[in-house]
Amino acid sequence: MKKTILGIAMAAAMQFSTSDVLADANQLSDVRVRQAIAYAIDMDTIAETLLEGKAIAADSMIPNGAFKAAELNAYKYDPDKARALLKDADWDKSQVLDVVYYYGDQLTADLMVAIQAYLSDVGIEMTYRKLEGDVGEQLNVLPEPNSDTSAIKWDIAYGAKAALALQEYYNGYRSNTNSYTPANADIDNLIDGINASADAETQIAAFAEFQKYENEALSDIPLYYQQLFIYESDRLNRNGGLYGNAQFNYNWGIVDWTVEPDANGKKVAYTNTAPSQFFQHPLLNPGLYIYSKVVFDRLLAVDGSLVPTSGQLAESYDVAADGMSVTFNIKDGVTWHDGAPLTGEDVAWSIGATLKVPAISAVLSNTFNSIEGAEAFVAGSADSMSGVTVDGNSVSIKFAKLDPNFMLSFGQFAILPKHLLSDNNPLEFQQHPFWQNPIGSGPFKIAEVQMNDFVRFVPFENYHGGVAKIDEIVAFPSGDNDVNVLKNAGAKRLDFGFTKSVADVKGLEDMGHMRVIPADIPYTRSLRVNKFANKP
Amino acid sequence: MLIFIIRRLLILMPMLVVISFLVYLGLEFTPGDAVSHMIPPELANTVSAEKLELIRESLGLNKSFIHRYWVWLTHAVTGDFGHSLSGGVAISEIVLDRLPATLELSAAALLISTILGCLLGTYSALNRGKWSDSGLTVVGMLGVSIPEFFFGLVAILIFSLKLGWLPVGGRLMPGFDSWFDHLPNIILPSLVLSLMMTAGVMRYSRSSMLDALNRDFIKTARSKGLPEWRINFLHGFRVALTPVIVIIGFRLPTLIGGSVIIEEVFQWPGVGAEFIEAVRGQDYPLVMMIALFSVFAMLLASLIVDVLTALIDPRVRMGSE
Repeated sequence: MKKTILGIAMAAAMQFSTSDVLADANQLSDVRVRQAIAYAIDMDTIAETLLEGKAIAADSMIPNGAFKAAELNAYKYDPDKARALLKDADWDKSQVLDVVYYYGDQLTADLMVAIQAYLSDVGIEMTYRKLEGDVGEQLNVLPEPNSDTSAIKWDIAYGAKAALALQEYYNGYRSNTNSYTPANADIDNLIDGINASADAETQIAAFAEFQKYENEALSDIPLYYQQLFIYESDRLNRNGGLYGNAQFNYNWGIVDWTVEPDANGKKVAYTNTAPSQFFQHPLLNPGLYIYSKVVFDRLLAVDGSLVPTSGQLAESYDVAADGMSVTFNIKDGVTWHDGAPLTGEDVAWSIGATLKVPAISAVLSNTFNSIEGAEAFVAGSADSMSGVTVDGNSVSIKFAKLDPNFMLSFGQFAILPKHLLSDNNPLEFQQHPFWQNPIGSGPFKIAEVQMNDFVRFVPFENYHGGVAKIDEIVAFPSGDNDVNVLKNAGAKRLDFGFTKSVADVKGLEDMGHMRVIPADIPYTRSLRVNKFANKP
Repeated sequence: MLIFIIRRLLILMPMLVVISFLVYLGLEFTPGDAVSHMIPPELANTVSAEKLELIRESLGLNKSFIHRYWVWLTHAVTGDFGHSLSGGVAISEIVLDRLPATLELSAAALLISTILGCLLGTYSALNRGKWSDSGLTVVGMLGVSIPEFFFGLVAILIFSLKLGWLPVGGRLMPGFDSWFDHLPNIILPSLVLSLMMTAGVMRYSRSSMLDALNRDFIKTARSKGLPEWRINFLHGFRVALTPVIVIIGFRLPTLIGGSVIIEEVFQWPGVGAEFIEAVRGQDYPLVMMIALFSVFAMLLASLIVDVLTALIDPRVRMGSE
């Protein structure tokens, strides 16, 4: 009898603990509170002071440019309006918001202090903490489908969204795929709208509609657009080569770059982002590191804004009017750095191999998963994708569903050598010995790897786009955020690169022999707000 | 003494096993794992939980802690330390690649600091109370209390960026054909690393020397009319050396473990910088290998100190001797 009562009690307790009864009501689900937060933070002042004028206050997740909607509410600093909105929403002043972030830099900590002060001024108290450990899990843990209680415990997460394709800003809001936005049919429809067409005008209209909706709803509270700063020394001359979004691949004309010869008459350009232990494969970050940019080639060349302009490996290409198929004709006589011919088979194999690698760029993933037969190929029920056919140097791709960004993908996607990587295990793709000294088909080949010391690139003598004029590129190890930029630039062993660090930019600008060129990139810092009705 | 050494070496083995278990356990309690480190937070929502689990399964990270530790241990005793989880390179290859850099930096710093520290400490003791002693004491205090990274950055600013005499950092550059080519690269990091170590040895040898000079046998030697240099260096310094050897001995493990801060400041590709990266990335096979190497070096240093102490000071006896 005692056991039965105990059993009932335990069952009741378990049921109780999994129900929403224990969940707390979340006042951030009230749009007036989110708008009050937006009004309470003076982003113009923060951009001008804390960010030293090197950032632009944001009024949308979408950066300024052709896709930016007109007449958006910029939520200019208005603490009185914030207080009024909070009063309307019956804001409970006793609660303390849990704000999280994942950057380890001082600037972020300072920004947290500033936001804390601004919010406190209108009657919102907050604490902030840096997420440690499995940050992705803590940010993205999903609730039960269609639940009105979030699985995340935080109230607001400060972070960045870096989009290769603008759809990436909003695709993540789709119902039951977002940790801080509850399922919402309106948002799903808007997402369908921005992905429905590859036509620019149609897309601009769809994005405008989405931005107006978001401008009101504030799923994310946009804070500022981060700029990218390209730096180069006065030894280097791009000879008309473009500046652009250096975090990705674009046609920067490196083959025509020149650099002043050193005392031995050698034309050596120094840069950073060499690896410390292995070359990161270019499927997750297609163009972040120097070796991704110069060692590998893409089918298409894109301009500084990442818009496809011409073929790179492709001599020509033909896109169907409905955007559901494309044929690439690879240039004749193109070879890998080891002399093996680069063929359509390499292209087809690279697409298939990429699909099976678990962590790849979202844009590449969307494109390749849209190809006819991709699902069966990934599931293992087919040996190849029915939508990819090779005929000599011609590769045809048929899509099962429209992907508005497939041209962008082929402007970033590195074609990999099948003959050197076909024995890979997709789950341990990065661990393949190939990534100790990769071979590509790009304008520079790797001549020497002193892992964690430097990597030496020399021009590929058979490059289809002409032989580079620089004798050598020497890259020193660093991540994309190089902590040694100022030291190395000061010692004149850094001729080109890019940074997003405001402090480094100020230092570089003070050096007479360095110039800094700002570039607007789709990189938006925002506050992700937990909008579920309840919190666990 | 031979029996003592053999006994100590035998005790090393179980100690290494216990320590390896504790290090492994510590890693287990660290939040996240190697897979969570592989995906940047900005991109984390683009990789499904199922895919992440597949990677974990492929790398064996989905197994229980005990299972993983046992697999690691049984492989390690056969000399197979596994592969880096992030890059797939053999751990032994990574460590052997980084070890020469750490060894040459640490050995240079140890040598400089030992010679300078003993000389300056002895000089200071022999000139006790004079301005030179006071000056050296102040310098010693500054050396111990100012952080290494500060000295490092100041040294780079002055000698590399302002005067242009020495490289800002790095170890190897294209075109270096022999070891001597990168001698200029080692000067600044080794001097900065030795600065702090010199201060410690100097302060230690000064007090040790002062202690020795106050002993009765020094007074006896002096009463016998022995020359002052003989009293100081043959009698005093020899005795004063014993505690100094202890501090130097316990610095031997830095030969293996490296100096994290100096390696970071001077972009020196040594074991210390690699260790930090491995801990950040939860690359446990690499962390284990470097940690065990450091622990082994520490235990070995302790043994060497014991043996050297006995050799220098006949009053010290080993174990049951």
